[in-house]
Amino acid sequence: MNASTAQAFRDSALRHATRYAPWLDRRPSRDALADATLPEPRCEAWRHTNPNRWYGAERPARRQRLDARGPPNIRVIPFEEADAEDRHRIGQHLNATLDRARYPLANVNDLLLDQGVLIRVPRAAAPAELLLGDLGGGYERALVLVEPGAECVLTERPAAPRQRVVELVVGAGATLRHIRLQPSSDAVEHHLVSAQVGAGATYRVAQHGCGSPLRRCDLHIAASGAGAEIAVRTAYRLGERQHLDTHIAVDHAAPNVVSRQVARGAVGAAARAVFDGRIHIAPKAQGADATLTAKHLLLAPDAAAYAKPELEIYANDVQCAHGATVGDLDANALFYCRSRGMDEAAARQLLVMAFLAEALGDAAPEAAQALLGMQR
Amino acid sequence: MLRIENLHANAGDEPILRGVNLVVRPGEVHALMGPNGSGKSTLANVIAGRPGYDVTAGSVSLDGVDLLALPPEERAQQGVFMAFQYPIEIPGVSNMEFLKAALDSRNAAQGRPELSAVQFLKLARAAAERLGLGPEFGKRGVNEGFSGGEKKRNEILQMLLLEPRLALLDETDSGLDIDSLGTVAAGVNAFAGEDNAIVLVTHYARLLEHIVPDHVHVLVAGRIARSGDKSFALEIEAKGYGWLTAPA
Repeated sequence: MNASTAQAFRDSALRHATRYAPWLDRRPSRDALADATLPEPRCEAWRHTNPNRWYGAERPARRQRLDARGPPNIRVIPFEEADAEDRHRIGQHLNATLDRARYPLANVNDLLLDQGVLIRVPRAAAPAELLLGDLGGGYERALVLVEPGAECVLTERPAAPRQRVVELVVGAGATLRHIRLQPSSDAVEHHLVSAQVGAGATYRVAQHGCGSPLRRCDLHIAASGAGAEIAVRTAYRLGERQHLDTHIAVDHAAPNVVSRQVARGAVGAAARAVFDGRIHIAPKAQGADATLTAKHLLLAPDAAAYAKPELEIYANDVQCAHGATVGDLDANALFYCRSRGMDEAAARQLLVMAFLAEALGDAAPEAAQALLGMQR
Repeated sequence: MLRIENLHANAGDEPILRGVNLVVRPGEVHALMGPNGSGKSTLANVIAGRPGYDVTAGSVSLDGVDLLALPPEERAQQGVFMAFQYPIEIPGVSNMEFLKAALDSRNAAQGRPELSAVQFLKLARAAAERLGLGPEFGKRGVNEGFSGGEKKRNEILQMLLLEPRLALLDETDSGLDIDSLGTVAAGVNAFAGEDNAIVLVTHYARLLEHIVPDHVHVLVAGRIARSGDKSFALEIEAKGYGWLTAPA
């Protein structure tokens, strides 16, 4: 499929006859897509990223590849291999976390699906470690159900999919640590992570890496249970001409939710970073505690960063703070390093590392540091 | 070793240095004093190569090498070290990482072998201990959340490890309590030797009770107005700077 406008793309998605998991009930998505307004160039949510470039990009050939692993007690179930019980579970949960109005592009995912997986994480003595690598490269879907009280570390390393939608249901009292590693790619990509976090549950997501000619990442986290804890960290380093658009929305939909968002981006020559961080606090979400900081470093005169924090607060018992900056490397710090004998390139590298480290936290995986060029 | 001739420099459009002449020989300690705005810190910064200053005339050489032609890192590799008046905080890079990066750069530039992690740690810990910087020091971000005294001690620590040929200490005594002053001075005295030289920029003679200079110069309006031996510092302490005027 190759259509370069929203209308043409929608029409061809609606016409697409899939043979993948034909038992999936796609009617809700088809109906939603028929009614939806897909993003047009310069619409608010895509102001700095042209969606036509995504609509018009080549669809990569499906690779017969599924790189997804878990411990022996946890099955990674491709939708194609789902038995009756699995199908029931998929039918019950698929699209349930999605905000179709806010993310209309998600509606195409099950119509065009190449590979979907279901993972159910039961409560166990030790945290489950899961890996989601390459799921095939086209329209990918993962549905991860972290059952109440379960603990899980989910590491994702997507291999340049056209679209990957990850739906996460984090049950009451469960803990999910989610690491998304995004190497540079040559592909035009759309990612959507949609998480629903239950009462007293913890969801920590770290998305680190680089860019591509166009990579759009939407993260939507709905804290639907009281006392949930949300942490979002993202660090990225964009090489020449890369474009990364990160939209993060954290919804406080229940009382006493704590959320943190930290973003650090280093933007190279002719590269463009777009960051939109949103905190929404519903009227019933009293006792909210939310912070967001986003800082960008421009490493070349023609680098660009567009950072926008957004707060929407409808409760009155709220602690909320946000800040966004865009700037150059600090000239005094650069001189300090050079006065100690480091050449300019080494000094800049050290300061970029220091800057990105603020978003990595203490538990950053080595793989994230490697992606960001932070090997020490 | 250090030879400064007729040095003129501007900060922006404003002339700050107006013809500085100074010769420093190996093994010497020079104190550079003078009222606020006389150009003391500018002189140190121009020698170290801080951007933002324009040298409009004159020369600065170290062991015959024209420093003004070199970027700051090559000046450092030639053996210039400036202890900053206001050391920079770099959260996200630990002190140990920073020190290692600095030492590796120097060693690479001077054709010396790179230190192993064990050799480096041993060296750095010993120096930190000597300066009263606790065991957590190495893991903390560079100067991050340090008190004024800790920052100044960290500068001296870097100097001890980098073993420069010429150490420029820019108001290293400012903001130090009496105990820290003693610790810092002991570090500087341990460093001083026949193969290196020290230029102390200071407002007060107090530091000179701990680090005894061979020569004391007073800078007025961008020139050295008068020089003397250590007793000159005491005279200044008693009489102030008002009686000294810039040479014609």
